[in-house]
Amino acid sequence: MNDVKLKKSTDGWHGSFAAMASPCEVLMEVDDESLAEQILKIVSDEAKRIEQKFSRYRDDNVIFRINHASGKAILVDEETARLIDFGENLYHISDGLFDITSGILRKAWRFDGSDNIPKRAVVKKLVKRVGWDKVSWKKGVLSMKPEMEIDLGGIGKEYAVDRSIQLVQQITDHSVLINFGGDLATTSENRRQGYWSVGRLVTGKGNTKNDAVAMFRLSRGAIATSGDAHRYLLKEGVRYSHVLNPKTGWPVPNTAHTVSVAAPTCIEAGMMSTLAMLQGDKAIEFLKLQAVEHWID
Amino acid sequence: MQLKKIKVQMSLATCTLLQVASPGVQAAEVDWDVETSTLYYSESDGRVSAFEPAIYAGKDLEDGGRLDVRLVIDVLTGASPNGAHASTVAQTFTTPSGNNTYTVQPGDTPLDDTFLDTRVSFGADWTIELDRLSRLTLGTNVSKEYDYLALGLSAAYARDLNNRNTTLTASFGFNNDTIEPEGGIPTALTPMVTQGSVANRQGSSDDKTISDVLFGITQIVSRNTIVQLNYSFGQTDGYQNDAFKVLTVIDANGLPSTTGFFDTANTGNRAYVYENRPDSRQRNNLYFKTAHHLQEDVINFSYRYYWDNWDIKSHTFDLKYRYQMEESYLQPHIRYYKQDAAEFYTHNLSVGNDVDATTGAVSRQFASNDYRLAESETVTVGLKYGLPIGDTSEFSVRGEFIRQTVNDGSVLDNEQTPDLDAIVLQLSYSLIW
Repeated sequence: MNDVKLKKSTDGWHGSFAAMASPCEVLMEVDDESLAEQILKIVSDEAKRIEQKFSRYRDDNVIFRINHASGKAILVDEETARLIDFGENLYHISDGLFDITSGILRKAWRFDGSDNIPKRAVVKKLVKRVGWDKVSWKKGVLSMKPEMEIDLGGIGKEYAVDRSIQLVQQITDHSVLINFGGDLATTSENRRQGYWSVGRLVTGKGNTKNDAVAMFRLSRGAIATSGDAHRYLLKEGVRYSHVLNPKTGWPVPNTAHTVSVAAPTCIEAGMMSTLAMLQGDKAIEFLKLQAVEHWID
Repeated sequence: MQLKKIKVQMSLATCTLLQVASPGVQAAEVDWDVETSTLYYSESDGRVSAFEPAIYAGKDLEDGGRLDVRLVIDVLTGASPNGAHASTVAQTFTTPSGNNTYTVQPGDTPLDDTFLDTRVSFGADWTIELDRLSRLTLGTNVSKEYDYLALGLSAAYARDLNNRNTTLTASFGFNNDTIEPEGGIPTALTPMVTQGSVANRQGSSDDKTISDVLFGITQIVSRNTIVQLNYSFGQTDGYQNDAFKVLTVIDANGLPSTTGFFDTANTGNRAYVYENRPDSRQRNNLYFKTAHHLQEDVINFSYRYYWDNWDIKSHTFDLKYRYQMEESYLQPHIRYYKQDAAEFYTHNLSVGNDVDATTGAVSRQFASNDYRLAESETVTVGLKYGLPIGDTSEFSVRGEFIRQTVNDGSVLDNEQTPDLDAIVLQLSYSLIW
């Protein structure tokens, strides 16, 4: 699997590869090609490592072991424990709206633009299998009911961006921008301009043809975007967003199409935008209260 | 999920996940955090008023250490009880300098209103990071007022254990204080004399040394709760009398003695003798504190048990609740303090029992009527309001009402030590510079 590509750009070097079901790019304000190669390798290795370790689509990793433990207690490694701890923190911070056990709801919901709204009874049954409060998690040991699952997909991509930023910072002071499918962060200020110009997809009410790219400048920190204008269901004039409330199993009504947030780290930006989506029509109010820079459509 | 501020919690959770120091700590590496405040303290009935501007500044150093400095100025005015108690007759006293007199009306608590002073105090602490888990803090303090000089040195060692969930602290402090009161050091248990008579003095200055050791443990119990337990032992040696405080010598009628040794017109001796306290005091403190974070609000509770070899035992309960509003916060505060009297505390001395009528000799070794050594209760209620201004500064205002009730034991109503009411008003502004 050698999809990793490096090419010269006006600013330095531009690397790209695919991981975590997203196009990934690494923009480097670097002249030296071997340094650019080294940076790109570090970033792509880290992205692929995190994908392998935490993807729920694989059968050789810790997530598989947890989800197939059949009720037995599983001892996890330190990094996994930190991610689960973070998920638990977010569960409490969000009063249960962010829940790493909610991935199972996707069995009922397929957001393909169709009108396939699931039956209420199906959702009701699945919701019983969701809820971090039903999980026993202590000192790296997790146990839950056999029918439950955990999914770190809501954290993984942002975590990979921040981890990659940390690794790159260990080897160079040059400014590097890392972008994994729209979640991005910089290692330091761009020396030439002081900022990186970043494009962000904005949409015309879910109509693909009216998609446009707004440019803005990122000097330091991270930006993450939640929402996907093309993932929804439409039935009898009601648009069902792909943002599911883990307590009800149903889409949060009146969500924004997309929310982008700027923060010191990609994880904070990503979680803020996710939680803003979960607020439905209170997203703007929520973001203003947090006093974070944000863009909302 | 109700709309609420979660930025700080999110930031802390992220720092833990990425195993980095929290951004607040990093930001402080290059900046001074500065707090300026002005405190106004006023006791009722024209007693002590204090005006206290202060400035604190701290900076994290690049090597992981930290520097903290503080400058406090106290301007005191007003009058302070001189130790004699109220009487049904007018009472006349000589000022400490011996150059003047003042007369207190029947029923009034004798206050010495020549009391006025300015104190300047400066301190600095330097924290050195010894290794990743241990720190040493070296401190120094100088405080100077008109008749008093205090010099102090301290060293504290702190070590984190158990994934930084536990911190052990050991510290040592040493102070040397020198007092040079107006008019010299009164000879203990001898009478105040009339203006122009030769005062009973035992030199112009005296000093004391104060040594303290402290052992403490701080434990993070859960994500939301932290507890701290300290024990400290202190030894004070040297001159511990309040040079300006006297006791009333009463006769069989309960009035200030006017005969024999205390026949003022003939002997020049007034019926008030200077207090005397032991020159050694061993103090013990057991202190427990816990802070508990609710979703947004914070509860702080502390309890202190104090005991010393002067037989003073005290309990202090302190409760603060920080109520977080959208931007600002309100913090109600309640404190209850109760102490027993020192073993040598006495409301007065009486001729025939404690004092020889003809020689004035006092049969007690130690005696004081300082209300601070009496059995007492103090209740404090207060409210603080804090308002962040931007990301880097905060304004706060704090008001407190204090009531101290002294229990003199069985004394006549009109001789009792009056309750003391006081208010505190403090304005503070802190910023990262």
